[in-house]
Amino acid sequence: MLEVEALAVSAGSFRLRDVSLSVAQGECHAVLGPSGSGKTTFLQAVLGVLQPTSGRIRLAGVELTRLPIEQRGLGYVPQQLGLFPHLSVRDNLSYSARARAVPASEFRPLLDRLVEATGIGSLLDRRPATLSGGERQRVGLVRALASQPRLVLLDEPFTALNESLRRELWWLLRELQREWRLTVLLITHDLAEAYFLAEQVTVLLDGRVVQQGEKAEVYGRPTAPEVARFLGVETLQPGRVLHVRDGLARVAVGSAQLTALAPYDLTDDVLVSIRGEEVILQDEGSSASSARNALPARVVSVRPGSPLVCVELDVGFPLVALITRPACEELDLRPGVKVTACVKAPSVHLVGRSAIQGRGSALA
Amino acid sequence: MSLRRWTIAAAAAVLLLYGGLILSLAWFFEGAALRDAVQSERTLHAVRLSLVAATLAATLALLLAVPAAYALSRYRFRGRELVDTVLEFPIIVSPAALGAMLLIFFNNPLGEWIEDNAVQFVFSFAGIVLAQFVTVLGVAVRLLKTSFDEVPVELETVARTLGATPRHAWLTVTLPLAKRGLIAAFILAWAKALGEFGATIMVAGTMALRTETLPVAIYLRLASADIEGTVALILVLVSIGLVALYATRRLLGRTLRA
Repeated sequence: MLEVEALAVSAGSFRLRDVSLSVAQGECHAVLGPSGSGKTTFLQAVLGVLQPTSGRIRLAGVELTRLPIEQRGLGYVPQQLGLFPHLSVRDNLSYSARARAVPASEFRPLLDRLVEATGIGSLLDRRPATLSGGERQRVGLVRALASQPRLVLLDEPFTALNESLRRELWWLLRELQREWRLTVLLITHDLAEAYFLAEQVTVLLDGRVVQQGEKAEVYGRPTAPEVARFLGVETLQPGRVLHVRDGLARVAVGSAQLTALAPYDLTDDVLVSIRGEEVILQDEGSSASSARNALPARVVSVRPGSPLVCVELDVGFPLVALITRPACEELDLRPGVKVTACVKAPSVHLVGRSAIQGRGSALA
Repeated sequence: MSLRRWTIAAAAAVLLLYGGLILSLAWFFEGAALRDAVQSERTLHAVRLSLVAATLAATLALLLAVPAAYALSRYRFRGRELVDTVLEFPIIVSPAALGAMLLIFFNNPLGEWIEDNAVQFVFSFAGIVLAQFVTVLGVAVRLLKTSFDEVPVELETVARTLGATPRHAWLTVTLPLAKRGLIAAFILAWAKALGEFGATIMVAGTMALRTETLPVAIYLRLASADIEGTVALILVLVSIGLVALYATRRLLGRTLRA
């Protein structure tokens, strides 16, 4: 559906280089990255606001690269939503029909269905300034969908909302996306949002694609330390592979040793990444676990969070565990307490140094 | 003294200064002189001339200022900085110098050709409009550019993704949102043109019943030591200006609430 090939864009001193991705019909694809990673530049190139210096953008077989914005067939919901403040909600929603001179008889049934699906029927005569945050989001979304776009571009549209409202709108968007088989390109820095809404993820850092693939694969197996850091992997430590046997690697990390699944491109020097949720804490000396790694640990600090408590441990290297509050209370965790930290071998992810050095080719 | 008091005192000083100047006219005010001035054919002509010329000059200035200000606000082009800098040119150069420059231009071959074959500006009504137009154009562009800057570019982008051409997006989104600035720019340009003196007298001269605008008439009365007549004409100018500004403000308020 959407195919971006080797796209390069210059925006002032910033360069977006060699970005390729494809989004299938009816799929939601998230472009993830922190501020300054090039997400907005990429978005502007797809929109047609910025002209690429090289590369191609095709949508449903149509070359978009040199087409003006209004002929690209895109539905766009920007971060600030871009509702026209001088028009009523009704006029905002029917703007595309008026701009394209679509007869009302053709446009109304679609609009009515969208309005009903999103529950904004009572807002039609109001001005955007009188709407709440959630209502504004719905109107922005419906307006974009009412133009019957081939691709919906969402630029961090839920950033300004509180957590519960954001989750409510995620559900709405996911339902709409599945019911209407919308092809969506979601630009976001929010991992949870990308994980919830998207099937495929592209991670952008410093203007380049550093990882791309199924969301679970990208989230669970970052291929570069920068990606791991951005994805919020709590423990990231250098290690040295001691030996590999039966597909399992034994790795020295600090003064401890870990067992991990050996990736096919394993090098001697690796970075060991472990997600905090994957670490299980038990009473000291307890060995009733199938986990390959049961490490004697000393609690360094306990930081209460919501909903998980962050426990910093010393296991011969700094290890972070994220556990629930009741579990923390049951184990009576506080600095100095000794426990056993268990991590399954598949949860210890090894990032090879070749992947670290050759990030340009680190596409999944 | 607190910041609040200091700043309010400064605001009061502004009112005191201009209000005091208007009130001081009372010292030389004579009802008969005002009646004579208001009823005189020469004064009425000067009032009509001033109103028509200022309205024309402000309208023409906006016709050029609107697209120019939009270009300055939205696009990066060669010479943009230069255009942005010359907007203050009419303020830096005194109106008299600006008028003298216009006069000199019409004594150049190109200017003479325009005078002979197109429009005669020197010592004519067209000259008054031109002098006022040149004086107010820069400030109109500056004000409008600020208004366009305040309309987020993103709204135009959204409009275009919804199928609007750049022109349609401009007409249906940008222009309505810049309406307040557009009206404010017109009011200011009109008021500035109404009171314009230096450039007008240089280009159009002081011919009674031909090129004598209200400010020129005030100058001529004062030059002939007719203080009471001067006061009467100043009051006419002040009244017209204040009534017009008040009316447009009311109109502006209604338009923006609509």
